[in-house]
Amino acid sequence: MVSALDARRTIDAVWKLESAKIVAALARMVRDIGVAEELAQDTLVAALEQWPRTGVPDNPGAWLTTIAKRRAVDHIRRSQLLTRKQELLALELDRQPESEPGTEPDDMLRLMLISCHPVLPTEARAALTLRLLGGLTAEEIARAFLVTGRTVTQRIADAKRTLAEQQVSFDLPGEEELGRRLASVLEVIYLIFNEGYSATSGDDLMRPDLCHEALRLGRLLAVLAPREAEVHGLVALMEIHASRAAARTGPAGEPVQLHAQNRGRWDQLLIRRGFTAMLQARRLGGPAGPYVLQAAIAVCHAQAPSAEATDWKQIAALYGALVQVLPTPVVRLNRAVAVGRADGPQAGLDLTEPLTAEPALRDYHLLPSVRGDLLVGLGRIEEARSEFQRAAALTKNAAERAFLLRRAATLAAPAPAGPTLGSLSRSFLSDAGLDAATVRSYGQTLGRLGRTLGEALPAAELTADQVAEMFAATWAGAAARTWNRHRSAVRSFGAWAELPGLAEQLERRPEPRTRSSPLDPSRVDTLCTGPGPTVRDRTLWRLLHESGAGVKAVLALDVEDLDLDDRCSRTGITWGPATALLLPQLLAGRTRGPLFLTERRPGPARLPTADLCPDTGRARLSYERAEYLFKQASGGLTLRQLKPRSAPPAPAPSRPPFTARSL
Amino acid sequence: MRYLMTTAANGSAPDEKLFAEMGKFIEELTASGVLLATGGLDPDSILVSSSGEEITVTDGPFAEAKEAVAGFALVEVRSREEAVELARPFRRIVGDGESRLQQVFTS
Repeated sequence: MVSALDARRTIDAVWKLESAKIVAALARMVRDIGVAEELAQDTLVAALEQWPRTGVPDNPGAWLTTIAKRRAVDHIRRSQLLTRKQELLALELDRQPESEPGTEPDDMLRLMLISCHPVLPTEARAALTLRLLGGLTAEEIARAFLVTGRTVTQRIADAKRTLAEQQVSFDLPGEEELGRRLASVLEVIYLIFNEGYSATSGDDLMRPDLCHEALRLGRLLAVLAPREAEVHGLVALMEIHASRAAARTGPAGEPVQLHAQNRGRWDQLLIRRGFTAMLQARRLGGPAGPYVLQAAIAVCHAQAPSAEATDWKQIAALYGALVQVLPTPVVRLNRAVAVGRADGPQAGLDLTEPLTAEPALRDYHLLPSVRGDLLVGLGRIEEARSEFQRAAALTKNAAERAFLLRRAATLAAPAPAGPTLGSLSRSFLSDAGLDAATVRSYGQTLGRLGRTLGEALPAAELTADQVAEMFAATWAGAAARTWNRHRSAVRSFGAWAELPGLAEQLERRPEPRTRSSPLDPSRVDTLCTGPGPTVRDRTLWRLLHESGAGVKAVLALDVEDLDLDDRCSRTGITWGPATALLLPQLLAGRTRGPLFLTERRPGPARLPTADLCPDTGRARLSYERAEYLFKQASGGLTLRQLKPRSAPPAPAPSRPPFTARSL
Repeated sequence: MRYLMTTAANGSAPDEKLFAEMGKFIEELTASGVLLATGGLDPDSILVSSSGEEITVTDGPFAEAKEAVAGFALVEVRSREEAVELARPFRRIVGDGESRLQQVFTS
């Protein structure tokens, strides 16, 4: 007899190994991904109930398949399908699960194609794929992508609804269409791999679990669609990149660049697997697609016995071919690196010049980092230094930031040549007598200016052209009000720092009249201290006022999201003392569930459990209700008006579609 | 994480059915991306031992061949439990005997 805990672990392991096959078979039977997944979940629940009591069956996979099929049959009977379907069912039931797993390779391929269907947004495709083909729970997916479990659950639910609404076909596409549909699958697998391989945020450089999931999916796909060269290309690319996992971080977790890696630590087994996959791809022939070309580049690196012996001419040529089929800014940047090695740093630097105006690379730390390297090669040390500093300011990864700052520091310090953009900005913000809200607002503008142009840039060299370029690349698409706010920041800064004309190329934009104007803080005080409103309402209003966050985001807060000591939420909302004072009263010991609850328990309606308090059974406060209460209390104002005058907008950094890999 | 599964010889010669089933099993594991490498081992082994400065090389066969490792599989899994769940169907195919699972340390 196994312990309950062991049984749970075993079930989890069996489930992860078997669930894809089960969901795939169910999807074929019921022809609906959502229903198939629900039936699969029912099956899992059955195992969770039975196995701890009866022990794990001898053939757990077969047990699960049998139960799942029974559920599917029940479902189909309930939904009263046509007799023909019933006949098909009879056939289905005759299959013996022991000798026949009941899943054709085509079922798996179909499941993959549907999970990655182009009608779905990319994150939804990734979540659905990990869920249905990797057997991961919403929580596990959320951890991997550093989002909340609720977000993932929502993405998956939305995706399933979209697939049902669009009546996405369950039939396998023909040869020609297959290639196009597979492109979408490959994109998702590579996205999952990259999220693991070059963690875009957080403290670790890699989340190997995600790489592993992507590798599994890729290897599976190579068996399911063996005649597609790009599939083998992607597998080769991932195997070879994964082979460097151990060598690409140093003892302190810092990144080690490809040319400095200890090649003895490359995993020869994975390299060999990569080469094999590459041979498969070559054997299939045809014009080389983006994955095959990237894999070919990876192969070149893997074949070089030392960094010095790298065949950069060949790699530069491959990048030349790659930019033809995949002309993304990041590929162009990588090409610049290769050309820099093959034909000298000046040639590489020239290729990076047009990229500095590329909006997609605005927040991309590898652009200044690459330019820094090339400038070092040209002996332009001071410029290199400020490029590395910019790169450090842009990366969201702690280990990488430390590494870039060290690179900047090892280059000789420049002779003091008057104040720098960074130091002057800081003096301006602290000495110009601005109020706190203005400091916060201007600080954003100047911080961005510093990150784009380099904090170390001597202030005297700052020109109106540079400012105009940076504005165009950063805020061209921003709302008029945002644009004007940044513009005022530069104007005030220029006036204070005696850098006249700094904003002269920035046109003021006409602002549309807004219906709501922000409330006077004293009015907020009166509203929040009056006798009428409940603790909940006062907390909500204070929080909206102090955080400047969106109403939806605030109502979506869960108790688990809060960090009371640091006065912030995991979702990036921060608040001040007035809210901090009220929150403990509002929580009254609750440790989970929605932060803002309705007064009453809901009727037996279908609310997602994430919107119910697990302890009190009360539902999350709705926008409509919150808005109504505030209107009543304030005599007709809207919650949005609680947002302070200079609320910080959250800039959404765009993420380049491909990551510079061979740097 | 990686696990190495080694299987001891059980003395009986494998029949055709076992070969077929094993072939199918290995195919499935490869397809699902779990199996990284596998192979059968020649019972004729060479023993290399060292004592102090001295290295001794002894050719087999050895008397205790029954305990010798007859095959190995290197798998990449998410957890210890997953490794166990992969060993289960394998043991069902090969019949009586034992396999040993050891995690392979990777840095």
